[in-house]
Amino acid sequence: MAPTPPTDAELDTFIRARLASLGIDLDQLPAGTTADPVTGSPGRDSVLASLRSFVRSTVTALAAYQLPAPAGTDPAVAMALSQQPAPMLYPSISTEWRDR
Amino acid sequence: MNLPQPLDRSIDRRAFLSRTAAIAAASAVGATVALPGLAQATPKAAPAVRFNPALNDGDAYVAPRPEAVADPTELTIAEAAWLIRAGKLTPEKLVEAYLARISAYEGTYQAFNLVLAEAAVAAARAAAKRPRRGALHGIPLAIKDNYWTAGVRTTANSYLFQDFVPPYDATAVAKLVASGAIVLGKTQMGPLATTRATTPAGVVTTVNAWTPENRSTDPGGSSTGTATAVAGRLATSGTGTQTGGSITAPSNAQNLTGLKPTMGRVSLAGIIPLSYTRDHPGPLARDAKDAAIMLTAMAGEDPADPRTQGLPKVPDLISAATPVSGGRKLRWKTRIGVLPGFTDGTSATALARRAYLDTLAGISGATVVDVPLPDDWALLTGNAFNNVRLPERSEPFMPYLRTDLRGFGVSVTSWLQGALLGANEFVTGQRAKLLLMERVLDQLFDKCDVVVQTGPVPFDILGLPEIGFPIGFTTAGVPIGTILGGLPYGEDRLLSVVAAYQARTDWHWRRPPNPAAAAAAPAAAARSLAPTGGSAELRLSAEEVAELTQ
Repeated sequence: MAPTPPTDAELDTFIRARLASLGIDLDQLPAGTTADPVTGSPGRDSVLASLRSFVRSTVTALAAYQLPAPAGTDPAVAMALSQQPAPMLYPSISTEWRDR
Repeated sequence: MNLPQPLDRSIDRRAFLSRTAAIAAASAVGATVALPGLAQATPKAAPAVRFNPALNDGDAYVAPRPEAVADPTELTIAEAAWLIRAGKLTPEKLVEAYLARISAYEGTYQAFNLVLAEAAVAAARAAAKRPRRGALHGIPLAIKDNYWTAGVRTTANSYLFQDFVPPYDATAVAKLVASGAIVLGKTQMGPLATTRATTPAGVVTTVNAWTPENRSTDPGGSSTGTATAVAGRLATSGTGTQTGGSITAPSNAQNLTGLKPTMGRVSLAGIIPLSYTRDHPGPLARDAKDAAIMLTAMAGEDPADPRTQGLPKVPDLISAATPVSGGRKLRWKTRIGVLPGFTDGTSATALARRAYLDTLAGISGATVVDVPLPDDWALLTGNAFNNVRLPERSEPFMPYLRTDLRGFGVSVTSWLQGALLGANEFVTGQRAKLLLMERVLDQLFDKCDVVVQTGPVPFDILGLPEIGFPIGFTTAGVPIGTILGGLPYGEDRLLSVVAAYQARTDWHWRRPPNPAAAAAAPAAAARSLAPTGGSAELRLSAEEVAELTQ
């Protein structure tokens, strides 16, 4: 059974905990939704809202992605086949190096 | 049996030790080590760069148009080079002509972060005393402010770098200078290369040279200042960087020819990073020939950047950008792929695109063919997979994120997003790039040699070359541009197609009218880091910047 998606409050806790684990304190930003008048930095509530949206869209979409196997592949081996494409940081460079 | 020496004996221990020493030396100077460029094992000084003899190719010199002779700031690089070679123009006169325009109009355009007036004049005088070596000899350039310039403040238009003075030139700058070019100034840019040029706090600064009275007309970003400088005739040509359209977008917005080369073609050493797998340095120029001259100088292998190594040699770009038979014939037979929907609608852009394709179809050797979108194109090039770049933003900036979130100003959100993306998702994104690349090669480029683009991001993800160039104007007089994408290291073919198109059209020769003269700009302003003020102030919010971010 799929887990229940996190609530806003749970995501806020996750985001703050994740950032704190990296040593980043969101409280450096102004409270609320008003931007800092001098630096233009957004308020932390605005940032949290944006970060929640990011987790729900980008993180979820990427995590759910399964590389496709060729059409007609036996489902029993499709997951194993999807592990085969190597991650590539620089596709154009690696293409040249592989003399495609 | 004699075995070769084991691999451990073949490792270049000397190079390893020298890199370690460079890190130790950087650490010894305290805070400097935290700068992203120094956080890598970069050398303490720029690597030696060599002049590229291809810059003295006869095709690099073009007899100037009469109207350009009358006003040196109208000259292309190739035309100015012709006059300088003929002894009819000196680098000093060329620099002074630009400084006069800067004095008159920079207050309106706000294209520069820093104008190096005295240094440029001195360099021009020195150039007159040196043997001329190639087409860039004595040519004044605008350099985007994320390229390191030795002894000259390099801010990336950010609070974080506002006092940063690099110890050496970025490799690309060193190559341009070694080719005889003159750095006229550092240009305004989106803060940390994220959006159109604003102050780090989001106040819009640089205007589109075609609508200087209207700040809301997007001048394109993040290489905005370079584009405005070249379009407004404050510099002959200039440099930009592209991570998500930052060369092609401002070129399209301001009637210029901007070339984003293949990843690795130009060294990124000494350029403040935004996304290390996707930052591409390249030129914003007035036509294909000038773009070819600039790229010829900038490109090539660099010991300081492994991305540049083991790649094909730089081809003869300048000859590639020289039209054949006055543009009646393509240099190489080329199939031009057109993606679905490219000419849909009745807008001025759609009409311009149809006329552009008709012109291409009329060139001998060109075949315009419809090509399909590769499978899952929208998904693999869409927002989620595009966002895979964001951890590359946060990781090198961790010291700043821990201590100075407000220092990121209006652009902070995407750095925090990057810190939230896990390694699992990052690796998935890297796998998807390979899949996308294979589909682009198998499903697009088996049917064509170059392909029209409806946006720059897909080829930015893949590191493939793109060239933006003008194809018309809206009824309001704002330029309409288009982007053509090519195969890896196919810059020569892209240039050849655009050169033929430009030989048959005159969009690229059109220049914006002069704006009303504004107050003279200070020669060495720190204007970018402070709000501009005034009743017409336009300010981007963090949400808008997040929406527009590259």
